[in-house]
Amino acid sequence: MAELPILSIMTWSPFVAALIVMFFARHRPLLVRWVSLIGATVSLVASLWVYCAYDYDAAGFQFHEEFSLVPSLGISYLLAVDGISILMCLLTSIIIFAGVFASWTVKQRSQEFYALLLLLVTGVYGVFVSLDLFIFFLFYEIAVLPMYLLIGIWGSTGEVRPQGIFGWAFGRTGVGTKEYAAMKLTLYLLFGSAFILVGILALYVAGGSQTFSFLAFEQMEFDPTLQSWVFLAFYIGFGILAAIWPFHTWSPDGHAAAPTAVSMLHAGVLMKLGAYGVVRLGMGLLPEATVEWVWLVGAIACINIVYGALSAMAQTDLKYVIAYSSVSHMGVVMLGAATLTASGLNGSVFQMFAHGIMTGLFFALVGLVYEKTHSREIYKMGGFGTMMPGIATAFTIGGLSSLGLPATAGFVAEFLTFLGAWESNYSWWLFPAVFGAFLTSIYVLRVAGQIFWGPKSTDPHFQHLPDAQGTEWAALGILVFVLVLFGVAPSIAIGPIDTATGPLLQRLLGQ
Amino acid sequence: MSLGSLIPVGPELLLFTTAVVVILLGAFGARRAAGPLTMVGFVAAFAATFFIPEGAFVFNDQYEQDALAIFAKQLFIGSAAISLLGSMTMTHRAFRDRSAEYHFALAVSVLGMSVLVSARELILLFVGFELMSIPLFLLTGFIKRDPVAPEAALKFFLVGTASSAIIVYGMSFVYGVTGTTTIDAIPQALAAGHPLMMLGMALLLAGIGFKIAAFPFHMWAPDTYEAATTPFVAWLSVAPKAAGFVALIRLFVEGVGEASLFWMPAVSVLAGMTMVIGNLMAIPQQNIKRMLAYSGIAHIGYMLLGLAAFSTSGIAMMLFYLVAYMFGNMGAFLVVETIAQSEKSEGMEAYRGLAQRSPLLALSMLIFLLSLGGIPFVAGFWAKLYIFWAAIERGMYGLVFLGALLTVVALYYYLLVARRMYIEAPDKPEPVPVSAPLRFGILICLVGVVGMGAYPGPWVTLAQRVASTLFS
Repeated sequence: MAELPILSIMTWSPFVAALIVMFFARHRPLLVRWVSLIGATVSLVASLWVYCAYDYDAAGFQFHEEFSLVPSLGISYLLAVDGISILMCLLTSIIIFAGVFASWTVKQRSQEFYALLLLLVTGVYGVFVSLDLFIFFLFYEIAVLPMYLLIGIWGSTGEVRPQGIFGWAFGRTGVGTKEYAAMKLTLYLLFGSAFILVGILALYVAGGSQTFSFLAFEQMEFDPTLQSWVFLAFYIGFGILAAIWPFHTWSPDGHAAAPTAVSMLHAGVLMKLGAYGVVRLGMGLLPEATVEWVWLVGAIACINIVYGALSAMAQTDLKYVIAYSSVSHMGVVMLGAATLTASGLNGSVFQMFAHGIMTGLFFALVGLVYEKTHSREIYKMGGFGTMMPGIATAFTIGGLSSLGLPATAGFVAEFLTFLGAWESNYSWWLFPAVFGAFLTSIYVLRVAGQIFWGPKSTDPHFQHLPDAQGTEWAALGILVFVLVLFGVAPSIAIGPIDTATGPLLQRLLGQ
Repeated sequence: MSLGSLIPVGPELLLFTTAVVVILLGAFGARRAAGPLTMVGFVAAFAATFFIPEGAFVFNDQYEQDALAIFAKQLFIGSAAISLLGSMTMTHRAFRDRSAEYHFALAVSVLGMSVLVSARELILLFVGFELMSIPLFLLTGFIKRDPVAPEAALKFFLVGTASSAIIVYGMSFVYGVTGTTTIDAIPQALAAGHPLMMLGMALLLAGIGFKIAAFPFHMWAPDTYEAATTPFVAWLSVAPKAAGFVALIRLFVEGVGEASLFWMPAVSVLAGMTMVIGNLMAIPQQNIKRMLAYSGIAHIGYMLLGLAAFSTSGIAMMLFYLVAYMFGNMGAFLVVETIAQSEKSEGMEAYRGLAQRSPLLALSMLIFLLSLGGIPFVAGFWAKLYIFWAAIERGMYGLVFLGALLTVVALYYYLLVARRMYIEAPDKPEPVPVSAPLRFGILICLVGVVGMGAYPGPWVTLAQRVASTLFS
């Protein structure tokens, strides 16, 4: 069994499912769903297997798979995972598994919807497992492009129109519509990938050894000036996907307009792709430049945390609140990475996972609420807790994790990150970070209170609302379970993370 | 003189014969045979290019069939054949009545290009240019009753003749310095760096810049594209530009070696400006042919970037780009022709909901546009990547960065078409009918785009082999 290409199975099983859905399931919606579910299950099982079989003592990259694709240029299909990537793969598989259930009710052109969704997931897995930078980039593009159609066709246009002094101008650009959001998201992310491509090519040419292998690049010493600007290129390129300020504005629009499963996947996993890219390529390959630029990364992360939280407070559209909270939480991820301390880096990676599950849960819930009420406006809703207790409970657990309550995954992540910030060379980072967590508790509790626990809305549409049913429970149950599990027993994740962040830190600080 | 000695110029002879036979048949009334006959001629000429002994010199060494010339001829004739597939089902009255003239002009223009890329002598080069250009003016204004066609043809004609004049003027300086009209004398004279020589070459650069529609000589392209018939435009957007690039290679690169780097700043600026102008002007276009015209200008900018590297890999990647661009652009134009035949419109609204009416046609268009936009797994991605690569080897980080950013702009306007096709709802449910020749043409382009995207290796090897002979 040692030779089983488990990473390829994990990566390509959604793709195979997508092909089957596209070619054999025309006009058979139930078959579409079952094939997708099987594809997602295979990848979930594979990722769990990798997670369990990973050898913690040996650490480093394991499960190597390699064959040469374009020998003349040194491009090869090189896959392997380390402690960070196995956790990210696990996250991806959980989210897509839940996402298939969450989109069970998609009616319009469901065949294409599932095919594109699964294609997207293949791209995401590919990014996490590939060690050849060229293949990495190709997977990255697969993960970005289907978004345009997914949001453009199946997305929803918000009800809250732009207001205020720029309301007219924003209205002219079509802000808030799904077409606008789809185009904005795609262009922003492709704009970022232009930076990444130039950075990768520059490393390849500077390395001069006809290879795109991450492991080979890791051994090289690049010139400091080259390192410096390539790091910035990677930081901006991947950072756009991680929604760093001021390049974050695609994310609220995109996530609010996207259909449920796509929001879950995008906010839950794709944004992590950006943070993963910064940590893996930026920090992993360019140690000197990392030390040179952490002040910028950390400072912008602080802005993200506070700015995202303040923006979330100001929203009246439920989906926008969740979307802006992602901007804030991604700030925590970037801050943890910038601390260059063991606890900070561990917190950063843990937050990638915790936020992925949490925001996936939130978007699944928002999707459910919207499906039942056909509204996303917070201040029109109220007192739903009595009618939909299950949804209300799940939302509250997610919210508590979001504001960092102990016994949830969010607590572990934020605690480690804050600890790292205090230990770092820039201890003042702690203050904006904690302030952000405080703001988070305000907006989360206010939203939960208004919608679920407050006085009942008098709106006649909202008098008889059903709770979650059937497959909908599956998505909620899995996500809540994981959220609490990793909060109670964080060592499940900290173990593998530590095997990867330890050597990375040694390399960074050994300079 | 034995018959065997004619093999090196086989394609040219076949093209010439085709042109003569078609126009004579037309004179005797057999107009309907013109299209199929020209197609047979093109296929035969295309096949004949494979029998040319590489490196053959004929006509007192003034005519050379090297790897580049053969490569270019295959590109010209192949693209002309694809264009013919598009024009076979054209129903316009002008095509019924004057079919012979159309095909005669097309064949003669291909012949002109073929002469141009083989010329080792300035005057022959110029004759090739004119033989290529004059039929193009005729073909642009072919539907002469349409009010915009004569205007576009006139504009194209004036710009074209002005550029020819500039080319001849430049050649006169080159002749004055070298004392000969053979191209082989240029490298030496360039190395000596005589100012008049530089002036002459600068004029040549400007003149050929007109032909390939590089900034600031690009203005004729959108009007011409909009007015002329679509299958012809599909070919016009590829072949004459390829010919212009080959002329640039012959004059500025071949045998010159490192001295050609003198032109790098000028060509770089030209490349950068062309990319910027083409991409920005394409955004507001509401007519898809105008949009493709401006995007084509932008693509010329990318190819110029490859030329600006003045290296083996730069030239090779430019040739690769030409092939990728040919498949992507011609495919897109053929889809435009299909839609135009069924919807009688070349506006963007004609594409509304195409994905639900004709999923395969919409998917083809999407693939062509993504290829033009440079998305992975289709030809255009490798083309752009290789061009950037070659430029980075010369340290042109700034231009590569600009080019990479502009691909995002390009994707914006390509995605606007995707939005019409995929996101918006159709006005009517019935599928778009696609005639058999068009279907075949689109299929060829699709195979080209996807094949080059999935397996670029052989094409890269070919382009590198062609380019390497220029520097030896």
